Amino acid sequence: MSQAAVRIGSPRRLAVDVPAAANLVGTLGKYLGTAALFPIVVALWYGEPIWPFVVAGLVTSGLGFGLERLTAGAAARIGLREGFLVVSATWLLAAAFAAIPYLFAGGAQLSSPIDAYFEGMSGFTTTGATVVTDYDALERSVDMWRQFTQWLGGMGIIVLAIAVLPRLRVGGRQLMESELPGPEIAQLSERIRSTARALWVLYVGLTALEALALASLGWLGIDDAMTEFEALAHAFTTMPTGGFSTRPRSIEAFSAAAQWIIVVFMLLAGANFALMYRGLVRRRPRVFFRDEEFRLYLALAVLASVALTAMLWGYGIAEGEAAVRAGVFQTVSIMTTTGYASTDFALWPALLLLALFALMFVGGSAGSTGGSIKVVRHLLLGKILRREVDQTLSPELVMPIRLNGSPVDERTVRAVASFTLLYVGFWAVGSAIIAVDSAISGAGLGTIDALATAATALGNVGPGFGVTGPMGSFAPLGDVSKLTLIGLMWVGRLEIVPVVVLLTRHYWRL
Amino acid sequence: MRLAPCHGSRVSTCPAAGVRFAVVRIFVIGAGQVGSTIVEALHEDHELTVLDTEASRLQALTGRFDVSVYEGDGTSRKDLAAAGIRAADLAIACTSRDEVNLVAGMFARREAEGVTTVIRTSSVEYVELWRQGQLDVDFVVSSELETAYAISRILGVPAARQTDVFAGGQVQVGEFDVDEDASRDVVGVSLREAGIPSDSKVAAIIRRDETILPGGDDVILEGDRIVIIGSPGAAKAWSSLLWPQGGAVRDVVVYGAGRAGSAIARVLLDQGITVRMIEASREQARRAAEAFPGTRVFHATGFDPDFIERERIGQAQAGIFAMRDDAKNLYASSLMRVHGIPFTIAIAHEPVSIPAFDQAGIDVSVNPRAVTAEEIVRFAHDPRMQQVAMLEGNRYEVLDITTRESSRYIGTAFRDMPVHGALIGAIVRNGQAIFPHGDDVLQTGDRVIVFTEAANVPWVVEAL
Repeated sequence: MSQAAVRIGSPRRLAVDVPAAANLVGTLGKYLGTAALFPIVVALWYGEPIWPFVVAGLVTSGLGFGLERLTAGAAARIGLREGFLVVSATWLLAAAFAAIPYLFAGGAQLSSPIDAYFEGMSGFTTTGATVVTDYDALERSVDMWRQFTQWLGGMGIIVLAIAVLPRLRVGGRQLMESELPGPEIAQLSERIRSTARALWVLYVGLTALEALALASLGWLGIDDAMTEFEALAHAFTTMPTGGFSTRPRSIEAFSAAAQWIIVVFMLLAGANFALMYRGLVRRRPRVFFRDEEFRLYLALAVLASVALTAMLWGYGIAEGEAAVRAGVFQTVSIMTTTGYASTDFALWPALLLLALFALMFVGGSAGSTGGSIKVVRHLLLGKILRREVDQTLSPELVMPIRLNGSPVDERTVRAVASFTLLYVGFWAVGSAIIAVDSAISGAGLGTIDALATAATALGNVGPGFGVTGPMGSFAPLGDVSKLTLIGLMWVGRLEIVPVVVLLTRHYWRL
Repeated sequence: MRLAPCHGSRVSTCPAAGVRFAVVRIFVIGAGQVGSTIVEALHEDHELTVLDTEASRLQALTGRFDVSVYEGDGTSRKDLAAAGIRAADLAIACTSRDEVNLVAGMFARREAEGVTTVIRTSSVEYVELWRQGQLDVDFVVSSELETAYAISRILGVPAARQTDVFAGGQVQVGEFDVDEDASRDVVGVSLREAGIPSDSKVAAIIRRDETILPGGDDVILEGDRIVIIGSPGAAKAWSSLLWPQGGAVRDVVVYGAGRAGSAIARVLLDQGITVRMIEASREQARRAAEAFPGTRVFHATGFDPDFIERERIGQAQAGIFAMRDDAKNLYASSLMRVHGIPFTIAIAHEPVSIPAFDQAGIDVSVNPRAVTAEEIVRFAHDPRMQQVAMLEGNRYEVLDITTRESSRYIGTAFRDMPVHGALIGAIVRNGQAIFPHGDDVLQTGDRVIVFTEAANVPWVVEAL
């Protein structure tokens, strides 16, 4: 071989530094495994077996450690490309981590690996769809583990890692932007580490506040069902807009007072955390009213609540406070993509179901823990359409899209439009697969039910209609449907793009 | 009666000579259009030194005026010192480059004690900084803003060729052309019998090369050009007398969204006028659209007939042409006249363009550099003088000057005042503008707004 040939060597056509990405995934896995300590404490407290959690923690940390060691020689180059891979892989890994205790301690209902993985993915992505049918059979530590995975996933595993791990100080912004929900418009204009910390501090603070508020109902004797365990468990799944409950009847099991408290915290969880940080922690309450997205978010919540209440009352399903509460609770729960239910809305008439169906596509605000399309994208989409109409008449018209008075970058505008298209595309394809699969396997999902089930998974809402309704379970679905839903939850939580780029040739090859 | 020369001495060093019109040593940095206009306006009464990097420009100046020149760099402290800036009372940095002017102004401050510094800028941001006291210069004059103000004044009084305001906007001076549309209430009848709007005075009638400071028997004729001094309301009344079909301007099209166009848009928008902007550069169009929410900005040349028709550009009440190229401004305004815009204002960057614009029927031409020079010249006049406006190039000036105790006209009723090539159009007493009648009497400390020929300025200043 000539000297030149030696120097030139074989072609290196891979554009992604896979070892570097694997190394970071390993580090994240290593620390993620320590999350098992919490259910271990719970299990010890209630005298339940701790070994399922020990195994989960050891396997996850060990795997992470091994991966980290194996790729230790790799240059730690986490760029734009590697970021997408890290985020996507980490979330797949996290769901697997969550699934391990279910396999061992979940009993027969969670013993199938697909079911366990479904439950794990539904937990970390804060969806709240469940395959559990017999809640009483679950141990308390497993119950709490389900709730806890939602809480961890809500603000983001990587955001947490950035806040805590020194290693992610460099290159973390890209990772965080892939994980934080909503288009990249305005984050807190600080170093990402301070931003990540601020978000988590607020998140922890609000969760603690809710747990206290709920627990005090139990202490005051207003709601006997609301024990400290339930208060914490539900605070863990409200703030991430998760929707897992320890009760088969979801929030219906609790008093009206508890339901109203949960409504308030669901609304907070669906608001922009960066905005709340400025408004609440920095004491500048005016930012709320100046924020276009927040105003639209509240307006939509109020409008939909009124409409739902009126319909409930009109159909004679409920009256008075009960109607208002049922209307407001379901609206806020579905719109913020929490997925709790205070009543079995799957039994409601079609018109009401249609309203809930529409709300599944609204979502929370950007920078909230909510999923789905998100209010700010609807807002921008409206402005984009308005501009398109105006420019049909006057093609020369220059119209910057504005949000809160400042112009939005055209790239962001395009990203919003393409995100929405992708979202609808994934929903359509997912629905089709589920509809076909349930027809073949005889799961008994109607067309509307299939559409709603795909939408609820993609939007990280939780319950669908029909058998997958709030008091039902996803267990009757076939394995193909479950795998599809797992994919939809994953894609939905990461807001599609980080996953979709992995499917392109341009991503992998130079 | 001319002022006794006191060359070579500063104000403070020759009080005994009884000089009332102070000779000021002025240091001008930049001999471009603005610089030479300033020199032209000031060279007779003041001692000027002009600094520029280009010898050819300086030669052109020395050929016309008696000023000392120095070839050097305004941003070099050495050059400034060598040119003798130390002796200056007033330093004017008026090159076309903001940074040069800022640095020159700063060095002038350091070199010459007690100097007043004036800099020209094209950046509105610097003007704002100066207003907040963040810039180490005494005055900042922005070509763009001055041009925009001039245009907005014209739109307020659309029949006027040029207008200026005095006494914080209480007194307006306007120059009007009298054509066949003018109301017969004021044309063809003696001023005594004419229906002249109250609170206003005809300061001059310019008939070909002759200037008449009119009395009650004089008559305004078609084809005259007249100068009016009066309240803003009266100026508007004159505007509608001389141009009856023109109303309040509400809808304006601005061609060009560069610095000049944007400054104009900003000033007009502040007055509640609807502005549509047309800009050929995508980037500038985007910037303008971002800067002015609610304003329609088109990315177009504005010459395409389909576009003009579709957007009903011709329905605008006035067109302002603020593109960089005089030829484009000329073409666009002619085109817009064809499409039905009744009133056109065009920016003429080159002084030679102005007669061409006039010839082409553009209603008003504005030369940003002339406007800037005029604004700067105001700083060079007598300290008693608050403000100066120049009309017809430099042929006439309007002065805003405070009367002294020793003035020979104190206590004289206006009826008895002799006509000496100057006319008092208004007085400002205790902050209130008064448009004097025959019985009013001039008092010490009155600010008077005087119209006069440029050659008479020293005499007028001395007399008051």
